[in-house]
Amino acid sequence: MLQRRSQDPTLRASSASDSPTVRVTFEYLVCATVWLLVGTAAGLLAALKLNWPDAFTVPWLSFGRVRPIHTNTVFWGWSSMALVGLALYVVARTSRAPLWSPTLSRLALLLWNAAVVAGLLTLSAGVTRGPQEYREWIWPVALLFVAGLVLNGVTAYMTAATRRIPEFYVSNWYILGAFCFLATILATAYIPLYQRGLGNVVIQGYFMHTGVGMWFTMLALGIAYYEIPRVLGRPIYSYALGVLGFWTNILFYTLIGAHHFIFSPVPWWLQTTAILFSVGMMVPVWAGGGNLLLTFRDTSGVLQRSYSAPFLLAGIVAYVLVSTQGTLEAFRSTNIYWHFTNVTVGHSHLAMYGFIAFVIWGATYGLVPRLTGSEPDPILVGIHFWLALVGYGIYVVSISIAGILQGFAWVAGESFIRSVEAAEPMWLWRTAGGVLMVTSHAVFAVNVWAMRPGRALVDASAAPAVEVSP
Amino acid sequence: MRAYPSHRAVVSFAFSGYVALTVLIAVLPAASVQDTRGIQGAPARSALAEEGRAIYLREGCGYCHTQFVRDLPLDRPYGRATVAADYANEAPPLPGTERTGPDLSNVAARQPSDTWHLLHLYNPRAVVPQSVMPGFPWYFEQKAAAAPGDVVVPVPPRFVAQGHVIVARQEARALVAYLLSLRQPEVPK
Repeated sequence: MLQRRSQDPTLRASSASDSPTVRVTFEYLVCATVWLLVGTAAGLLAALKLNWPDAFTVPWLSFGRVRPIHTNTVFWGWSSMALVGLALYVVARTSRAPLWSPTLSRLALLLWNAAVVAGLLTLSAGVTRGPQEYREWIWPVALLFVAGLVLNGVTAYMTAATRRIPEFYVSNWYILGAFCFLATILATAYIPLYQRGLGNVVIQGYFMHTGVGMWFTMLALGIAYYEIPRVLGRPIYSYALGVLGFWTNILFYTLIGAHHFIFSPVPWWLQTTAILFSVGMMVPVWAGGGNLLLTFRDTSGVLQRSYSAPFLLAGIVAYVLVSTQGTLEAFRSTNIYWHFTNVTVGHSHLAMYGFIAFVIWGATYGLVPRLTGSEPDPILVGIHFWLALVGYGIYVVSISIAGILQGFAWVAGESFIRSVEAAEPMWLWRTAGGVLMVTSHAVFAVNVWAMRPGRALVDASAAPAVEVSP
Repeated sequence: MRAYPSHRAVVSFAFSGYVALTVLIAVLPAASVQDTRGIQGAPARSALAEEGRAIYLREGCGYCHTQFVRDLPLDRPYGRATVAADYANEAPPLPGTERTGPDLSNVAARQPSDTWHLLHLYNPRAVVPQSVMPGFPWYFEQKAAAAPGDVVVPVPPRFVAQGHVIVARQEARALVAYLLSLRQPEVPK
């Protein structure tokens, strides 16, 4: 089903033409992969702890510390580094210009790695801003990350500004936008001036919501608008829908953070605004998702041959599903049954894994071999795909059932422990799915190493044993 | 040739528009509610309870326990609905997003026994066999014999080595003081 194309002479040509950009992209992907392994190992440990709460009873492996380590490492380490590594290449490529400053991007990568390591150490030691989701890092750690963010934002902007073609491609709208948005979001989250008491809750809703939607989603969509047409060998279905999706995403997505605190003392008008615009989110989601899905029509031939296209398709399908689910969760009626339950956990994994991680993998497998001239073993790519897909399928379904059972138990007025007992068998399934997911990441790591630059130029017999020869 | 929007126009419009939206939907609403006063006559937390709250933050208790009661029938067991004043002096407030464990806004009223809380923190399975909460044995000490002034925790035999006693450290006592401070004051009509 999958074919090797390593003898394709065009592969090497592009690697020579923009080598520094490619190396930067690859360095980002390697670091990201390390954080994927660390971050999801922490996630698996947290899942295991709900099955065996007395396992590994030491402070730094306690559930309450491992959970923020998992979320922050996969957010700021894995997803951010991988997306930005790919995005920098997309900006340079669609600008027909080399990366404005590979040195600045490398410095940014250094700062980001320093932030993730510092975050890992501080959170393990219990040094935290408290359970304010995804802004647990104390400010010096966050500042390291922001510094890297600014450097990368400037590099991306200057690369687009020095482009050699008149067109400012829609991918770059999303990517350059994402840097501006996250800078705004992090500044808003860490400046304390308006965050006493309930003010903090208002900002928390805004932060945890837009942090996902205006950073990860924007970058992933920007990459998808470049990579999906390229892999499929056809133009995007509608350029105009891409632009519409961009502006409506900014408008609607930003206004709906308060839907995380429905029925709370947060001003009622803010909650209602959030619910209304959550419905409005169907515009950018179906404009963007539909646009990308329509680009896939009649491409079953490519889907069968390509090993990146299935990841991209799965990613976009998850994007549409998770966003539609998000709208449904925002209503006051559904909130009664689903809020505070594990449905939330399933939702966030459908987003950050089903959508974001799959787009990263699709773009990585689609781009990197063409740039470096080194291909992974297609069988291993297939194993990665199916382990990840089946693994997270089991994960999301079981944890969502757990959430629904919790909700029913609470609404029925049963004693609290009944909801724990109801969810427990599902938590075991969730862990089983997690094992498959983490295993797939190890396979991905092997594949990333096989795609490293310069390998095609090295004598094949000298290659290390991890690589499978054709 | 087709006219393309410039990168400067797109980025500056998106950036400034986003900052404006953020101010409107997050910063201004937050600023307008941040000075809600606390409930009059509500007792202040003791220094020990304050120390306990820091440990509560450190151990990530808020990932599984909310302090956010909604005006809904299913939240009745946890107390009255949370009001803005409840969060007035909390830095940060801990509404939470998940209830893997029950809400704790009013836990001291439901479970006022300090012995129960010490046992529960040492190993939750000692009091609730089906519990999946982590234990915090590092806030306790196993000793051959209790010294005068020690707070001995009556741990069931299967959770402690024979001939030993479990004594609560300062941190465990602080955490319990915090949990016992979680009692919703009445909202004046």
